Amino acid sequence: MGIAHEQRDESVSISLEGAVDITCAAELKAALVLALSSGKPVRVSLDRCSVFDVTAYQLLWAAQREAKSLGVEFTLAAPAPALILAALKEVGFEGFPVPA
Amino acid sequence: MVQTVLNNADQFKQSFREEAREIVVDLEAALLELNENRADMELIGRVFRALHTIKGSGSMFGFEELAAFTHNLETAFDQVRNGKLAINSELIDLTLAALDQIRAMVEENPEAPADRAACSSILSSVRKLAHLEDSVTALQAANPPAASPADPDVAPESPLADSALALREWHIRFAPGPELMLNGANPFLLVRELRQIGGLSIRVSMADVPPLAELNPERCYISWEMVLATSRGRDAIRDVFIFVEDNCELAISPAAGDSPRAPGQTAGDQAARALEEPRSAQPGRRSYDKADNAASLRVPAQKLDQFVDLVGELVTVQARLSELAARRDDPDVAAVSEEVERLTSALRENSMNIRMLPIRATFEKFRRLVHDLARDLGKDVVLTMEGADTELDKTVIEQLGDPLMHLIRNSMDHGIEPPAVRIACGKRPTATIHLAARHSGASVLISVSDDGAGINAQAVRNRAIEKGLIAPDAPLTQAETFALLFEPGFSTAKTVTDVSGRGVGMDVVRQRVDSLRGSIDVASQAGSGTQVTLRLPLTLAIIDGLLVTVGSAFFVLPLANTLECIELTCAQVERANGKQMANVRGELIPYIRLRQHFHIGGTPPAIEQIMVVETGEGRYGFVVDQVLGNCQTVIKNLGRFYRHVQVVSGATILGNGTVALILDPERLTQTAVRAAERRSRGRPSAAAHAHMQGAASASAL
Repeated sequence: MGIAHEQRDESVSISLEGAVDITCAAELKAALVLALSSGKPVRVSLDRCSVFDVTAYQLLWAAQREAKSLGVEFTLAAPAPALILAALKEVGFEGFPVPA
Repeated sequence: MVQTVLNNADQFKQSFREEAREIVVDLEAALLELNENRADMELIGRVFRALHTIKGSGSMFGFEELAAFTHNLETAFDQVRNGKLAINSELIDLTLAALDQIRAMVEENPEAPADRAACSSILSSVRKLAHLEDSVTALQAANPPAASPADPDVAPESPLADSALALREWHIRFAPGPELMLNGANPFLLVRELRQIGGLSIRVSMADVPPLAELNPERCYISWEMVLATSRGRDAIRDVFIFVEDNCELAISPAAGDSPRAPGQTAGDQAARALEEPRSAQPGRRSYDKADNAASLRVPAQKLDQFVDLVGELVTVQARLSELAARRDDPDVAAVSEEVERLTSALRENSMNIRMLPIRATFEKFRRLVHDLARDLGKDVVLTMEGADTELDKTVIEQLGDPLMHLIRNSMDHGIEPPAVRIACGKRPTATIHLAARHSGASVLISVSDDGAGINAQAVRNRAIEKGLIAPDAPLTQAETFALLFEPGFSTAKTVTDVSGRGVGMDVVRQRVDSLRGSIDVASQAGSGTQVTLRLPLTLAIIDGLLVTVGSAFFVLPLANTLECIELTCAQVERANGKQMANVRGELIPYIRLRQHFHIGGTPPAIEQIMVVETGEGRYGFVVDQVLGNCQTVIKNLGRFYRHVQVVSGATILGNGTVALILDPERLTQTAVRAAERRSRGRPSAAAHAHMQGAASASAL
């Protein structure tokens, strides 16, 4: 698992890699809170994720809702692999929380 | 934080192992009970649920091979549950054999791995027996492919799928509890597992997800509303959640307007419609909110041992404090000392209680042994139990397994006759081995009895003479003769079998019981059976005792054995005419003078004290100089040098640093009785107890 958090002048990018699950949920939350607190547009990349569990899903969903209420742009720079999207669909998540 | 969670993953795995061990023990007991009551639906359900839990939890915690292996067994028992397959000996034996492999898979011990060939053979036989397809669906079921979303309109292939059965729709609400994720469970896997039993329509609710800042990242706030179209019943759905149901809100109810599906209508159509309809008013089961949810917790045994050791040290220090307080004329110090003593006593009692475990689990594991041995020896034997809830110290329980196993094997091999012989003797062809446990003072009595042929005392005697253990003319009581059975290498068996006959087992029994400071009593009647009773101390750590003195020596008598204390005056001694008997409210009680018994010099006081104790031999008195009072006693081993000193069960360190010996009233009276027996041998009455009481009471009166 890896969470890369890069703050640029114009935006903040968060790249998730490997298994994004409960073992790194606290780290992901911290990264999202930090990114949103910057007030800059947040871009999330999920294309290198191999596992995506319910804790990760709800964190991104909550972050997206938070961004909306704060008026911060929150977008998907690279979507999750098709395998993960299919697995999420299987358990009822039709649309991924973060719009591309 | 991340590291902590990663470490938790290992802990989850270890927790699963511990739980799986318990489940396997329960499963084995249920299977053996089921073998005797093959139509018992409760037992069938118990076996199914246990297999289901092993499969589901195993998959969740990364034991994929285990989950795949268990899947077919679970399916077979589901067929049994649904009346499609009957219980027979083959299925029971296959499942028992599978349990051995499951144990190996759970332990993941590289030195004792699961036997893959045996696993394959078991699975093949189970599939054949249950008419299951020889498919690879087992692995897929245990580890469903994440990348292949199921078509909600098509129910997944299941060995039990029966298109002839009408589909029913169930409304399911599933909301994970706060601890569900932390316990290693994965809601996604549960939802996927539902797809295994029917067509599923899902609506996810994010309503409970709090603002990001307030969100506990390791908790699941998402809940699922689902409609499942399946031919299976409510129990099958509940079984999916069986290992998380204490940590989730779960409601399963027939979907509103549920009816068999109309021709041409897909499960998805119907399920989607049902989701739009109002939910059943039946409240969800928020079982994780139960008051007793945290009523018990798992603690490593090592921590518990350390805790008890520390309490033992505290008890010793408290004794020193009491001693110091007694020497100082300071009421404040005395008050503090008394308070510390009270608290230490409560702490000791609590810590001892924590270590007390029922003996049931130890007893239950012998069901399998009896079942397997009966099959191998061609005998028909049932195992019965009594007092399985009797509690004793876990250290004692841990060491009981081997002695009991040897006693049972010996009974099965030598005691119990083959069915034909039993019938010829006028007995029922089915023999019984009875395990019993009960408390007796500070001891617990555990007996193994059988209704077999009994022990031939003459054969034992002849064999002992042959082996040079006793002289040909040695006068032995029956108890002494039977005690020879526990001599190293002693066996009267004509042949050595795989089960017993080498004369090793009984020696092991005696060694282990000795190391536990226990004793063995054998009673047997030719033709009727044998009963071996192990008398073991309730605890090996700390006991309540009475501190007494004889001359300058200190002794501790276990309080649990002590009934009362009475005075013994010189006048009473003279009236007894040399007989060591005391008249206690009309009852004549023989007593043992510890001063004489231990060869302690000096002159006894004018008024001595008789401590009346209850033992297996009856009521006895121990004469001491003084009774100093109650004391909490941390039992210390005397070491190897003194291990043959039978009448002392250990030593303790008193507050002033003096060492006091802890007396074993059972052994002490037995030793005295045996000595009296030897003295009285040749007299008409052989039984020493009778002699001590009868002869003395005649003269005393």
